Amino acid sequence: MNLAEGVQIVSLGVLALMMLGSALGVVLLKNIVYSAFLLGGVFISIAGLYLLLNADFVAFAQVLIYVGAVNVLILFAIMLVNKREDFKVVPRIWIRQVATAAVCFGIFALLGTMVVTTPWAISTEVASGDSSIVRIGLHFFSDFLLPFELASILLLMALVGAIVLARREFLPEEDLTPGETEALTLPERPRELITTGRSDSTIQ
Amino acid sequence: MDFATLVAQLNTGAILPEIIVITTLLIVMVGDLIVGRTASSKWTPYFAIGGLLTAVGALYFLWDTPTPIAFLGEYNSDNLSILFRGIVALSAAGTILMSIRYIEQSGTALAEFLIILLTATLGGMFLSGADELVTVYVALETLSISSYLLTGYTKRDPRSNEASLKYLLIGASSSAIFLYGTSLLYGLSGGETNLSEISTQIGAAGLADSIGLVIALVFVIAGIAFKIAAVPFHQWTPDVYEGSPTPVVAFLSVGSKAAGFALAIRLLVTAFPLVTEQWHLVMTTLAILSMVLGNVVALAQTSMKRLLAYSSIGQAGFVMIGLVIGSDAGYASMVFYLMIYLFMNLGAFMCVILFTLRTGTDQISEYGGLYQKDPLLTLALSICLLSLGGIPPLAGFFGKLYLFWAGWQAGAYPLVLLGLLTSVISIYYYIRVVKMMVVKEPQEMSDAVKNYPEISWELPGMRPLQVGVVLTLVATTIAGILSNPLFTLANDSVTKTPMLQQAMERPAIQVSREIDRTPINL
Amino acid sequence: MNPGIDLQGNFIESVKGFGIPPGAARALWLPLPMLIVLVAATVSVLVVVWLERKISAAAQQRIGPEFIGPLGILAPLADGLKLVFKEDTTPSKADALLFTLGPAIVVIPVFLSYLIVPFGQNLIVSDVGMGVFLWLALSSVVPIGLLMSGYASNNKYSLLGGLRAAAQSISYELPLALSVLAIVMMSNSLSTVDIVQQQSGYGILGWNIWRQPVGFLIFWIAALAECERIPFDLPEAEEELVAGYQTEYSGMKFALFYLGSYVNLTLSALLFAVLYLGGWEFPVNVGTIANLIGVSENTPWLQVVTATIGIGMTLLKAYFLIFLAILLRWTVPRVRIDQLLDLGWKFLLPVSLVNLLLTAGLKLAFPIAFGG
Repeated sequence: MNLAEGVQIVSLGVLALMMLGSALGVVLLKNIVYSAFLLGGVFISIAGLYLLLNADFVAFAQVLIYVGAVNVLILFAIMLVNKREDFKVVPRIWIRQVATAAVCFGIFALLGTMVVTTPWAISTEVASGDSSIVRIGLHFFSDFLLPFELASILLLMALVGAIVLARREFLPEEDLTPGETEALTLPERPRELITTGRSDSTIQ
Repeated sequence: MDFATLVAQLNTGAILPEIIVITTLLIVMVGDLIVGRTASSKWTPYFAIGGLLTAVGALYFLWDTPTPIAFLGEYNSDNLSILFRGIVALSAAGTILMSIRYIEQSGTALAEFLIILLTATLGGMFLSGADELVTVYVALETLSISSYLLTGYTKRDPRSNEASLKYLLIGASSSAIFLYGTSLLYGLSGGETNLSEISTQIGAAGLADSIGLVIALVFVIAGIAFKIAAVPFHQWTPDVYEGSPTPVVAFLSVGSKAAGFALAIRLLVTAFPLVTEQWHLVMTTLAILSMVLGNVVALAQTSMKRLLAYSSIGQAGFVMIGLVIGSDAGYASMVFYLMIYLFMNLGAFMCVILFTLRTGTDQISEYGGLYQKDPLLTLALSICLLSLGGIPPLAGFFGKLYLFWAGWQAGAYPLVLLGLLTSVISIYYYIRVVKMMVVKEPQEMSDAVKNYPEISWELPGMRPLQVGVVLTLVATTIAGILSNPLFTLANDSVTKTPMLQQAMERPAIQVSREIDRTPINL
Repeated sequence: MNPGIDLQGNFIESVKGFGIPPGAARALWLPLPMLIVLVAATVSVLVVVWLERKISAAAQQRIGPEFIGPLGILAPLADGLKLVFKEDTTPSKADALLFTLGPAIVVIPVFLSYLIVPFGQNLIVSDVGMGVFLWLALSSVVPIGLLMSGYASNNKYSLLGGLRAAAQSISYELPLALSVLAIVMMSNSLSTVDIVQQQSGYGILGWNIWRQPVGFLIFWIAALAECERIPFDLPEAEEELVAGYQTEYSGMKFALFYLGSYVNLTLSALLFAVLYLGGWEFPVNVGTIANLIGVSENTPWLQVVTATIGIGMTLLKAYFLIFLAILLRWTVPRVRIDQLLDLGWKFLLPVSLVNLLLTAGLKLAFPIAFGG
């Protein structure tokens, strides 16, 4: 075993431990903020595993998308809500926990057996390394053209949908009763404020 | 491979209907952006319906196309897919008809609703013909994500928010499970994503009896069963149906479900021929559970939307009978039933929307004595419900007849008997509503009906609703008596689809493989 | 193309001369460049801080640090010493673990990004094939640290600052990535070395800045926003948020933030130099000069000179940009948070998309000039 192989094995072990540890933390910790941060740890460790597999592009994309976007989004959501709630103690909660653990172990055992017993067709091709990005591009524009283009429609729709959900609703013009002033119909004002909070309208 | 040869190989004509839908979508979006919300709501819905009908027209010209394979094997525009795409597109058109007034009333923007609905349609249409795992997944997600957004579209309604969140959470987990299943398929086949290649490669690698394939099957079925709301993957259905805007429910129960069935047929038949017995067994179980649970629980419902939710679970169970038989007649009866289901279910939802718009409630008890005030609505709703129950001579009767006949022919006696039994149960709860509307004396009228407003079709958005009600009423009535064209269409779509014909011949090959144990390239 | 000086090869050869096996020689070499870059990056912060003080003084017609060393060059060192010896406090209700982790997570990716900054053909820690992509990915990790420290401080200003920082960083990552993508498209490679190579050969005329007049502006604006420099220092806007996510920090942890922000600024400036200003290239092609005076390109002393000029040029270009950033800081007012987000999403993003499209079109139309 030379130096490179040793480094690889050690990194594999470290990354796997890190991934499993933080994944368990995500599930088991009570504090949701810790869970969210540990989720970032899981993503980073997975990116490390991709690196070990010579899939640089996937690894960096994993960091960029999952850590940089998805995890930050999750954190945003948690921190903007930031509502601590103490849940009621459920009587005999251990039964549920044991049952959950049993199911999880069952699935793990099943999948583990499947992975071990199946004679996977392992590719003997050399990993493409730096040229992988070129191959990905070629696939996108030849035999995966349809999903690639469809994804653009999907993203467009997701953008529209996100804006629909996030924006404050425009007020239909009919709602302007004679007593209301122009300031009350500003498009950004939510409808609830119009009907209830008239006294503060001068500030706006 | 240079650009010109690539373009020549793509066979883009096969997705012409989808291209028409995409163009419609973009025009609606940009048009709305330019002319503004009030001006655009005058023309965008009609334009969208026009686009969808044009797409259906384009589908007509693709019928029996000699070159169904497009995009280097990613897409298969065979007759089966054409029929399903037609169903999805028509259901979207019907949904738009009923949504114009509803969306205006709920104080939300119409154009964005149309954009999301058209995207969902697009996802459903691509899903009907997708012949490759990545395309399947992207199309499925296009359909699902737009459905989540549609469900939560009336965002000031807390029930809608709850429905959307539930749908999103359960949908995301089911889609994750589905993805796991497909990744197993990719691995087992040694890196193939094309559905038929997958089964060939798995067979060649001798993994037909491996546990991995069975796990992949189970996971994939979990994803599909979520889409078609089969028991026990149905938990989202009642809450989502109750909470979300009613037109969306209509689309989910018809368009989205039809796309799910198209996916089920293509994926199970093409990618899992090696475990046919297993998936027949699983689907039979799902069918039995859906028929029993859907129809029995529907008995106890007091809300019309929940009633239709459970009834749609039961209906999905009936349709699955056609899937598990696996004969020509089975698939044809399934397609036939879905076509009829399109009209009758859309019709029922249009009536429910009309009633809700006029009275603001969807409790079944509030329908009491409706006949006195609104005969047209009563007639349409009664016909649609009776058709859903399978009363002759309405369309639903012939649909069920064909399904059960096909099942009987194939020897699935218990399944057919159970189907008969549960459809008798279903007739009970459908008739309960009809009785409530028709039989009540004037003094027994519910409060909502007592305060029933003057019937006026002049309000903006009511005319399309009227057109929709009348159209579905006529279709539900006529399609029963004159069902022959639809029947021929369904039969043709099955007999002229190579994928299904190969599947029909395959059991013989499997038997021979059992005998001589030689690897066969399917 | 002249490969330039090969320090690694020379080092390994000379170590092998002492009778050490080649594997061990390589292992000995590995930490060296990392250490050098790490130290250099830290030292460069001192320079930048001194520059900041002097230039800000000049901009305000003051003198600035004067007595600590000649021209006050030891002032940053004194700052650093002060921070080292300060008491390191943790607020009593803060989340101590996350409070400590936060600054580290902010600083580590920034230092890691120095992996891909080239000072010469072979003067780079690691010529990663996807260099700029690695940088973009790493820079997207920083908001996690900011959110972490903002949350852990248990202070509403900190939390708001952290949220703002993350929002800003996400918003400006898109135009940044898109403008980098335009460069990548012209260079046909994500490797920083290849990007510089592609600009070489025509001296100053070959630099990307002429081919990406819009791209470089977007890049610089977005980079300033990523570094939270004025006019985009919303996360620590003192009038509104005390000091944003840094409010509760003191001592070494604060020093880490301080260090991180300046290292990040230097990094952005270096990458600007690499992407748009020809990296280590001299404004006049060195090969041409060598041919003029009749010296072979492979002459050892010329190689040393070229390498030195390369490092010098890279630093010179970077420090010119830092000078610009400092000048901007003292001449431009801060934007409001909604203006900041408007600028990012409604202006820079569309413009950078159009820039990308235009670059693609030009690449198809003039493959010679735009790296076909």
